[in-house]
Amino acid sequence: MDPLIGMGALALMGAAATIAGASEDLESDIGSQSNPNSQVQLAPQMSYPHRIYNKAISGEPPSNALMCAIGGTVAYVMLNFNLSAVLALTIGSLVAAMVHGTYATTAYMGRCSSQKRFKQMVYLDVLRSHTPPIMGYSFITTFTILVVSYIMVTVFAHPFPLPLLAFIWGITVGAIGSSTGDVHYGAEREFQDEEFGSGLNTANSGKIVRKAESGLRSSMDNSWFCAKFGGPVTGIAFGMTVFLSSWITVVFDPAKSVAAGWESVIVGTLIILVLVVYNRKMEVSARKAFGPYKEDKEEAA
Amino acid sequence: MSAGGSGEAHAAIPENQLIAFGIIGGLVGIYAAFFLSNVAGGVFSFMGALGAICATIWGADAVRRVASYGLGTGVPSIGMLALGMGVVAAMFGLAVGEGIGLDIAGPVIALVVASIIGLVIGIFSNKVLKMNIPVMEQTMTEIAASGTILIIGLSVAMTGTFVFDVVLDNVITTGYIAVIFIAGGMALLHPFNANLGPDEKQDRTLYSALEKGAIAMVIAGIVALSAQNASAGMVTILVGIFIWYFGFMGFYSRVKRDAYKVVGTGLLPSEEELE
Repeated sequence: MDPLIGMGALALMGAAATIAGASEDLESDIGSQSNPNSQVQLAPQMSYPHRIYNKAISGEPPSNALMCAIGGTVAYVMLNFNLSAVLALTIGSLVAAMVHGTYATTAYMGRCSSQKRFKQMVYLDVLRSHTPPIMGYSFITTFTILVVSYIMVTVFAHPFPLPLLAFIWGITVGAIGSSTGDVHYGAEREFQDEEFGSGLNTANSGKIVRKAESGLRSSMDNSWFCAKFGGPVTGIAFGMTVFLSSWITVVFDPAKSVAAGWESVIVGTLIILVLVVYNRKMEVSARKAFGPYKEDKEEAA
Repeated sequence: MSAGGSGEAHAAIPENQLIAFGIIGGLVGIYAAFFLSNVAGGVFSFMGALGAICATIWGADAVRRVASYGLGTGVPSIGMLALGMGVVAAMFGLAVGEGIGLDIAGPVIALVVASIIGLVIGIFSNKVLKMNIPVMEQTMTEIAASGTILIIGLSVAMTGTFVFDVVLDNVITTGYIAVIFIAGGMALLHPFNANLGPDEKQDRTLYSALEKGAIAMVIAGIVALSAQNASAGMVTILVGIFIWYFGFMGFYSRVKRDAYKVVGTGLLPSEEELE
């Protein structure tokens, strides 16, 4: 393969992955899936019923793996019928988004009605206004993941079939969205009336912010908030994962020689080392700048 | 109390009935699809997916019984574990069936192997990891067995047969096993996960299992469009959509029955109401 075409395809994969990461995180934030969900689930029990979307489909990795695997499967079937790739990937993502919508709906209805004794109502307008954006984001995520998988199969001749690749990338994007983006929503948005950096006191468990700047807070407000930082940073994290992990084998192609294969391993290790050192430096400088929570310091002293 | 409850789950339908329903319904569906595969261009392959739905309902109930002991975030893991055990057992059973020249015994061998794997993992969880959940051994066995029936049932719905070579070529090599794995696993784990809470009801959970099983059936039908032929695929898709509608409406009517209130729109309950 021409190295220039390889680099171009790689750049496209990286761009698609960045969009996938961002939309995945915003999709999970609308429904408060994954880690922030525990506080949303706990709130009515502590007598704070709310109008937040409780989308407990499962953890983010399985639910994203589901929509990407369904999208990949449907697209693969369509490709077998010699449909154009763009149309096949679009139909696949559409089916995946519809299935994801039904999963989100049953999760919201089921969780809210299982909290009858805490007087948590099922608000149908929450369902009607939030489920379409959830489906929209899941369409974008699935489509971009399918683009990444399709490029891997066609340009880089990856031995795995499309549905399996989509499944694996689905798990990956879910895992990265869960670990990178959720922090921003869970710790900062749900408890934004607490002092910054104070951590979650046990007494505040379930006491999530339920009222917005105007009216009651909805999960769309949370998505708007996360779109400023949490979503993009997840996108960059996932884009870098896809780009860097493929870049080393495109530049140092193991198919050319065994030496090149070892070079790719060495470069990969170097990248990891650089990232570890950089992360450590950033953490230390953040601690210096913002310091430990002051009250804790006084208590300790 | 944890959100996932902390004791034995209350059930309107006794577990023995659901076990019988899952095993008998599952095997009847799989074998019916297998023997009718040459009738009318293979349109009866949807029977395999019906068997898979029976196994889904049984498996979701088993997940419900074990997860009621306060598993919480462990619910999704249980579903993945079920299909993980299921894939190994299903492929082993079908391969051995072909190896001894008795393809027809494949699903039964797979079921037995799955039960043994599940039992071993259940004993391991309780005795070695000391999870001390009283129903662990039994439910692990059930979950593994239902996962196996689910995988074989959906494979039959896709290809029309459970002969190992065909399944290997049309399901494993093409990567459709990924969607069987995740759609089946989600159909097992999602119902209880979605209905988790102190006021969870068995029939509501099982209706959502029916609905999620039907989604897996529709996907299997889409695959059958290319793995078999258009008529076999369309029949599976249409039957699946019908079951999905039935399942969803059943679930929704139970939501209206169980919820504190189902309102079009409204504010939060007032202070007096919360007293």
